[in-house]
Amino acid sequence: MNASVPPSAAEYGGDEVSAIVLDPGFSTTRAGFAGEDTPKSLVPTYYGKYSFEGQEKLIFGDDVFVTPRPSLSVGNPMGRDGVVEDWDMAEKLWEYSFTSRLTGAKPSNPLHNGLNDLVEGELPTEMEGVETNEKPLADSPLLMSECSWNPTKAREKTIEIAMEKWGTPAFYLARNGVLASFAAGKASALVVDIGASNISVTPVHDGMVLKRGVQHSPLGGDYISSQIRALFKTNTPQPITITPHYLISSKTAVEAGQPPQAKYKTFPPEKAPDASYRSLLEERTLTEFKECVVQVWPGPTKLSAPGPNGVPNEEMARSTPGRPFEFPDGYNQVFGVDRYRVVESLFDAKATILDPDSQFPAPTPAQTIPELIKAALNGVDVDLRPHLLANVVVTGASSLLYGFTDRLNQELMQLYPGPRVRISAPGNTSERRFSSWIGGSILASLGTFHQMWISKKEFDEHGPNIVEKRCK
Amino acid sequence: MAAADVRDMLDLPAEGQPRPHKKQKVVEKRPEGITRELFALLGERAPPIAINENRYKGRPKWQTKARVRPCARSDDLVLRHWQREPESTNIPAIEDTRAEGETKEQGEHKTADREYPFAKYNIKLKFSNRYTTDEYNRHLRSEDWSREETDYLMDLVEEYDLRWVVIADRYDFQPQRVDNTEETSSALVPSKQFRTMEQMKARYYFVAASMLALEHPPSEMSEAEFDLHERMMKFDPERERHRKELAALQLNRTADEVREETVLLEELKRITANEQEFVTERRELYSRLDVPISVSNATNYHNSQGLSHLLQTLLQADKSKKRRSILGPDGIAPTSGGQTPTIPNAPGSARDSSRADTPNGGTTQSTTTKKAAAAANREAAQQAIRTLTPAEEARYGVQHHDRLAPGVQFRSDRAQKLTQAKSHVQTQKLASALAELEVPLRLFMPTERVVKEFEKLIHSVNLLLDARKVAEKVESEIRVLEAAKEERERKAKELREKDKPEVKSEQQDNDVPIPPAPAPVAAGDASQTGQPAKTNEGQAELNGSSTTNNVADSEPSTQEQEGVSHKRSASVLSNGSDKSSKRQKK
Repeated sequence: MNASVPPSAAEYGGDEVSAIVLDPGFSTTRAGFAGEDTPKSLVPTYYGKYSFEGQEKLIFGDDVFVTPRPSLSVGNPMGRDGVVEDWDMAEKLWEYSFTSRLTGAKPSNPLHNGLNDLVEGELPTEMEGVETNEKPLADSPLLMSECSWNPTKAREKTIEIAMEKWGTPAFYLARNGVLASFAAGKASALVVDIGASNISVTPVHDGMVLKRGVQHSPLGGDYISSQIRALFKTNTPQPITITPHYLISSKTAVEAGQPPQAKYKTFPPEKAPDASYRSLLEERTLTEFKECVVQVWPGPTKLSAPGPNGVPNEEMARSTPGRPFEFPDGYNQVFGVDRYRVVESLFDAKATILDPDSQFPAPTPAQTIPELIKAALNGVDVDLRPHLLANVVVTGASSLLYGFTDRLNQELMQLYPGPRVRISAPGNTSERRFSSWIGGSILASLGTFHQMWISKKEFDEHGPNIVEKRCK
Repeated sequence: MAAADVRDMLDLPAEGQPRPHKKQKVVEKRPEGITRELFALLGERAPPIAINENRYKGRPKWQTKARVRPCARSDDLVLRHWQREPESTNIPAIEDTRAEGETKEQGEHKTADREYPFAKYNIKLKFSNRYTTDEYNRHLRSEDWSREETDYLMDLVEEYDLRWVVIADRYDFQPQRVDNTEETSSALVPSKQFRTMEQMKARYYFVAASMLALEHPPSEMSEAEFDLHERMMKFDPERERHRKELAALQLNRTADEVREETVLLEELKRITANEQEFVTERRELYSRLDVPISVSNATNYHNSQGLSHLLQTLLQADKSKKRRSILGPDGIAPTSGGQTPTIPNAPGSARDSSRADTPNGGTTQSTTTKKAAAAANREAAQQAIRTLTPAEEARYGVQHHDRLAPGVQFRSDRAQKLTQAKSHVQTQKLASALAELEVPLRLFMPTERVVKEFEKLIHSVNLLLDARKVAEKVESEIRVLEAAKEERERKAKELREKDKPEVKSEQQDNDVPIPPAPAPVAAGDASQTGQPAKTNEGQAELNGSSTTNNVADSEPSTQEQEGVSHKRSASVLSNGSDKSSKRQKK
């Protein structure tokens, strides 16, 4: 097709209104213009807070990770269940996510910045509409995503912030499950979202969430991190402690399994950052570990079960070559069967590595992914189930674990041997990580969608409760 | 040598004359997008197809922000839509709605011109009118459903456009919404009821159908409306629930069950394939057995109409064959195949007992189960392997030949050849004999048996013709000899009367009676054939020998003359009438 000829509106269906799509998650917040294929602005949902000369200062964006300021504490406005807890911080953080890259900074007050000072002999201009222009989103409609179990109060609060604080002319709140299924090009799908704090299974029918089928459990990426920590504690040559990069001043290479030889930085107590800062940076190292080492046992049977030819799966796993990993302090080790064990509990609750210090209680069998899917399917009409099983959409950054989709496929085939199981998981990492944002980007740039926006006028007329009526 | 010198020599006009050829080339402009070298190769004539069609024309220009109001909305939300800049750039790029003063007219004109292209997709289902309180009380009251809950259901149905999955999912009726203020009534409020999708559907369909019927009584409904009404009234929640239970069972099968089912399905497929194969094989057989081809499955004959149709076709087939089967066993053979279906219980015909296309066989097959069919199938397969009994051989037309002539030959050709004798006269005679027997010269149905019989017939006709020939010859000889004898007797009488002087004339007389014989010989030769017995020497020899034998047996006294006019005598008699042969045949 010729690039210089515009596609006819009917077949393309796009109509750009420079809408902004905001997809807040527990780990990262994604924002960008609708119609683009990846979010332009990707900021961590963690923020830093410290006091400087008696004033409280906030750090947003990737700067959080950079400088260990004195008494820097790290917070997250999102709750572990995906619902916002700290609305003030959430508002600031979200505002940062789109003003930093997309809309530009908020202009200073027009009454004081000198630009509107009256020239001699000129009549004062109308200042009525000026107020809305000052708000960061005055030009752009805003599409936000939310988890499927978001309570009404949180939804109303969201539209209030968007309309009153940001001044957006139009707003819409979409479920991230629906958006992920749109990103996969499906109107009906079973969305399995493996996020940082949560895994959720959302049945979507005709672009609408089936609320009775929505299931979620806390076995997300952070839970896997806690499992890795538990593994490190019980590591055989010696327990592994994670020392983040900011505490290392220099290191020398050591043999695998040998104790690290590194010089550590020390901070005097009054200058040291908060413990939350350290745990955030440790989490970064663990993320790297998950990306490089952790692997999901491909199945078809559980890791603890005997394999197809009588050999226990653990033995098989042991015989595969291990993967080495070097920690920031130089300690390195080859991880064999353990790299399978840390994620096995996503599928098999009995395989949990127990750790009394962990913030995560040991998962119940009902919290594992196969059980969640089963419960989700039991929550929807029986006629719909085979169709949903043929359209399983896997998203979320933690689903990028090596071998995850294979295992999920095997589990589903065992669970439902009859109907056809088909998993749709994009191979492109950014599509997997940002799929709900991409779905929002598609949705908000559709010409047919513009009738769905909740306009400022409607909000003024009906109040925040309109979000319940319109964003179903 | 300069050009001017050449011109001078050739008396050409001096320079200054324009050279049109070169100039043209200059005029032709090289289009953009073609390299100079390529253009040079093209020559003078431009190619018929423009080459430089798909050229990148630069980045499309987007008008920064034009304001279009989506007409699909009820409110006046104005969004800034990105649009392509029109080709002519004299239209102002930005229409500012706030400073509409002078451009107002223009702006209005534009929005009126431009219907929002996506407004047509904003459609909503049309629902029938909502009931009034009066209507509800009269027609729609229900034990199970309160007015409030029905209202709630109707709202939900409209909201979700009849997506029952979603409606059932979002259904959350709070019965005490109205009475919540009174403490006493809240105690009496019925506990929240869980409604299944079937209950909702049943209620909605009942309400909708009733409303439809109220609007138009069923007698006045259009066909579509009536269908809708019927379908809604016939909705059976119990059956739907049962169906869903079965669906759930089907979904929750274990792996073993699934495997078993696939195996069974595979088996079924194999069986049906076998059956198909069997049917086609059998059909082929029947077509070879020269039976009117009929549909092999018997379902056609289950109703009376099908049966009568079958009878009709069989009668037709019968009629067409009757004409051929007046006489002889060969006439009956082909019709027996056609007649068997009408007398299905005839035990003599082995064929129709197993035939599925006869009415009898059809009904028996229909009553048998699939398993029986499969068993029959297997039996048939075994039959194919085992050796055939003579009866079956006859049935399937299996033949064993000692030696087969190479190449393909038709039985009809063979039959045709038989009717062609070696001589034309003989052929004519054969033909006339066959005509007398009312056997067609060309067989209508040259089946194996028919041809065999035909062969026999021809053979006996030939024999009879030969016999007649001999008989006629012998007769004529007898006549000749009798005439000679008379002559002799007469002469002897004369001798006795005249005694001596008549001895001289005896020799004269002896010569005299012979001449009458050659005359018929000549006539016979002419009548018989242009080509004498030379061509069919064998037959002649055979005839000759037989005649000689006959003559020798019957009349040894004629031996001397036989030697003289063997052939002649035969031909003399051959022009005798057919009566004799006819008599013989009879």
